[in-house]
Amino acid sequence: MSRAGIRRTYGAISGTVLAFIVLPLVVIVWVSFFANRILAFPAHGYTLDWYARALDTDAFRDGFITSVQTALFATAASLALGVPASLGLVRGRFPGRDAVQALLLAPMVVPGIVGGAALFIAFIEVEALLDIQVAGTIGGLLVAHTLIALPWTIRLVSASLASADRAIEEAAASLGAGPLTVLRRVTLPAIRPAIVAAALFSFVISFIDLEKSIFLVGPGRTTLQIALVNYLEWNLDGTVAAVATVQILIVGAALLVSDRYARLAQAF
Amino acid sequence: MATLAHPEVLAPDFAPRSRPRIPRVIGGVLPGTLLVVIALLGPLALMFRYSFNRFVPGELMVEGFTLANYAKFLHDAFYRDVLLTTLWVAALSTLICLALGFPVAYALVRQVGSRWKSRLLILIILPLLMGNAVRTAAWMVILGDKGLLAALVSAVGLTPPRLMYTPTAVVIGLVSVTLPFMIVTLQSVIERIDPVLEEAAESLGAGHLTILRRVVLPLALPGLLAGTMLCFILSMNAYATPVLIGGPQFHMMAPEVYQQVAKAMNWPFGAALAFVLMTVTLVLTTTANVLVQRRYRRWSE
Amino acid sequence: MSTTVALRSLIKRYGGFTAVDDITLDVPEGQLVALLGPSGCGKTTTLRMVGGFVETDAGSILIGGRDVTRLPPAKRNIGFGFQSYALFPHMSVAQNVAFGLEMRRLPRAEIASRVARALDRVRLSAMSDRLPKQLSGGQQQRVSLARALVIEPSVLLLDEPLSNLDAQLRGEMKLEIRQIQKAMGITTIFVTHDQDEALSIADRIVVMRAGRIEQDGSPEAVFGAPRSRFVAEFMGVTNLLPGTVEGPGLFRLADGNAIRVPGAVAGRGTTVLAIRPERVRISFPGADTEPDMLDAEIEAATYRGLSVEYRLRTTSGLCLTARRATPATGGPVMLEPGARVHVAVPPDACHFVPVEL
Repeated sequence: MSRAGIRRTYGAISGTVLAFIVLPLVVIVWVSFFANRILAFPAHGYTLDWYARALDTDAFRDGFITSVQTALFATAASLALGVPASLGLVRGRFPGRDAVQALLLAPMVVPGIVGGAALFIAFIEVEALLDIQVAGTIGGLLVAHTLIALPWTIRLVSASLASADRAIEEAAASLGAGPLTVLRRVTLPAIRPAIVAAALFSFVISFIDLEKSIFLVGPGRTTLQIALVNYLEWNLDGTVAAVATVQILIVGAALLVSDRYARLAQAF
Repeated sequence: MATLAHPEVLAPDFAPRSRPRIPRVIGGVLPGTLLVVIALLGPLALMFRYSFNRFVPGELMVEGFTLANYAKFLHDAFYRDVLLTTLWVAALSTLICLALGFPVAYALVRQVGSRWKSRLLILIILPLLMGNAVRTAAWMVILGDKGLLAALVSAVGLTPPRLMYTPTAVVIGLVSVTLPFMIVTLQSVIERIDPVLEEAAESLGAGHLTILRRVVLPLALPGLLAGTMLCFILSMNAYATPVLIGGPQFHMMAPEVYQQVAKAMNWPFGAALAFVLMTVTLVLTTTANVLVQRRYRRWSE
Repeated sequence: MSTTVALRSLIKRYGGFTAVDDITLDVPEGQLVALLGPSGCGKTTTLRMVGGFVETDAGSILIGGRDVTRLPPAKRNIGFGFQSYALFPHMSVAQNVAFGLEMRRLPRAEIASRVARALDRVRLSAMSDRLPKQLSGGQQQRVSLARALVIEPSVLLLDEPLSNLDAQLRGEMKLEIRQIQKAMGITTIFVTHDQDEALSIADRIVVMRAGRIEQDGSPEAVFGAPRSRFVAEFMGVTNLLPGTVEGPGLFRLADGNAIRVPGAVAGRGTTVLAIRPERVRISFPGADTEPDMLDAEIEAATYRGLSVEYRLRTTSGLCLTARRATPATGGPVMLEPGARVHVAVPPDACHFVPVEL
């Protein structure tokens, strides 16, 4: 095959696959404007009513608020834990470092349903022992979501630290800066883009989590994803599509902003 | 000045690079490790213990030590089928991901300029971050009886196939979740293969497919393996896709775990199911890893 | 099986930038041509076009009279030596060398014997089961050479093959490449930015600049009679003095001093006198006088082992560099800055290049 032929073949395959990947996103945004009572093709007309309906639906409104609160907390906590951990992993040389690294990245590897079920059982055990409520409270949700976001933060920040030039830290030290000053004035500014990206990414990962949260939500404390799944079990109308569109906009904005700071592909 | 407190400032010893600051720096890993131990390892251990408990309906915590839960899994044809379904659905989606992901990853690295590449990567990652709930809803709208696909097929005058609530639909849904992971993993490893190696093979008379088979694939093997394992693990543990697209008659392992732990409140059996799922996944991925590593090790070290 | 290579008006553009600008070149059978020039002069692009890795925008490439311009590299029967060697890291030395033969679907036994012979030729028979990363840079280079040559290519193309080696190895490899090339009689195009390398290895040197051929000739011609200021500078001529030819054998420098030049220089007019630093003679005042001596002061001296390089300024303000062999015995090794000396330029050391605007 000629070079041009090879190029065309790759182009055709890639185009088709990309279309397949993007299709759900495009379709859900499109149908959010359909006037049909139940989502179906073709459209009977177009309307913005579903957005108003979504706002009026308590489950979605409350779920959205809970999700944002949870995601904000998880972001802050995963940075507070993840940045020092990355420094330790990348800059430290200590026995068992590989094991500690594997452990810190484990929440990404252990399936969400399994981890969620285990956490759920553990919370109930704690409740029985200490006579306080954990499962179904925001506290339980916050612990779980911090756990979800932590490994992603560590991966992004570690990658940036590992590629940062050690010589600039040594230069600062040779000029008389103590270790803490080096950290504050040289190291952290150098990895700031990765920290910003990790923050936005943590937010998104927490915001869209379904599997772990499904065990940990309680009455009146439901995240948006759970609210969507519950709704989808009985309905398939434009409300879901409207909520989905808003979510896509939020996630897309976070993604675009964070990609300016660090190459997101690094996180995967 | 602080020189006394920091003798390395007076005599900077750059050779062993990370020696001076060890104690302070490794303290940083402690809080995170603690969280993982308390919120992941501990609960997993507890759940493992639960899988050996006896189940008494209506009571959550009955101490005991029995293999009954694992025995139930082995003897109950229903759960064996659930595991088999999970395995073949996961294997099929992974294979499809591999076949579709490789050409896209290769094209991204070798045939697209760097500006377009990062745009396309965002386009590939974005649907991944729509969340499982939203993406699944979209596939319901596409594959449903009155969905986009049915409308398109009948517009051409054909009878639309019933896809919703079939394994085919689940595989489609799963591929759309895992494909971006595969592409991103593969492109990062192909990125590290020097294009000059492909030119060298070409100058020696190799055609494109030969270059892929003899040069690119062997060198991309670690990434290929990582991507394959990731896709397989994600598919094995999928929850939203089988529940919403597979329908009530379609059973995979993760929804069964949820069913047993949260709905039937049979924690011992739910725990056993969870560990069967994890063990099977782990054994398969580790075996694949070992087999591939054995071929790869000689020149990778 | 070795053959001629002909480039006909080759052009390659990248956007608005013309990397290769109308290159025409004929390489006869068995000749080793060096494409020499600074980075960005288009030499590597030219080589990669001959190899088929870069598509041509215009012009044609003929190998053995056959037009290969539109052929992919795999169909050109070329041996390409890459700057980074491009050895397949997952294949042993022998597998690397066998690759091209496997692509030609030769019988197993023949592949084995040809690989053995090729490795023998580069003295690596003992290494055939090693992986590339277990070899030194020089050994990797020899594997890459063996891999390119074992397929008995019509032409050997080498892209800066010595640039990743240290100085001593570079000398050895230079000899080795030259020997193998002569022994096999293979037509070779060799890209380098190092004039020493080109001078010592090539039958013919093509100096390139900004995508064009600046001078094409034997090493002696390019070194001894550079045709332009650019080539002169590239060949290490440090003294380029503008002035006018005032008649047969007389050159008037810009500062008013006159220098005697070979009488054969014809015509009059403004031109540039090029003198290699090692041909500038330094003597002490009071020593035997020569004609056309200029008084000068040493401004700076740099010790270079076998020679010492001096920056001189004549009383009339002219700047010159001179290189003087370090005396084996007697006399001071180096003249100190500030010392006053006489400077003379023998007429046969003078050479003219055109003034460039």
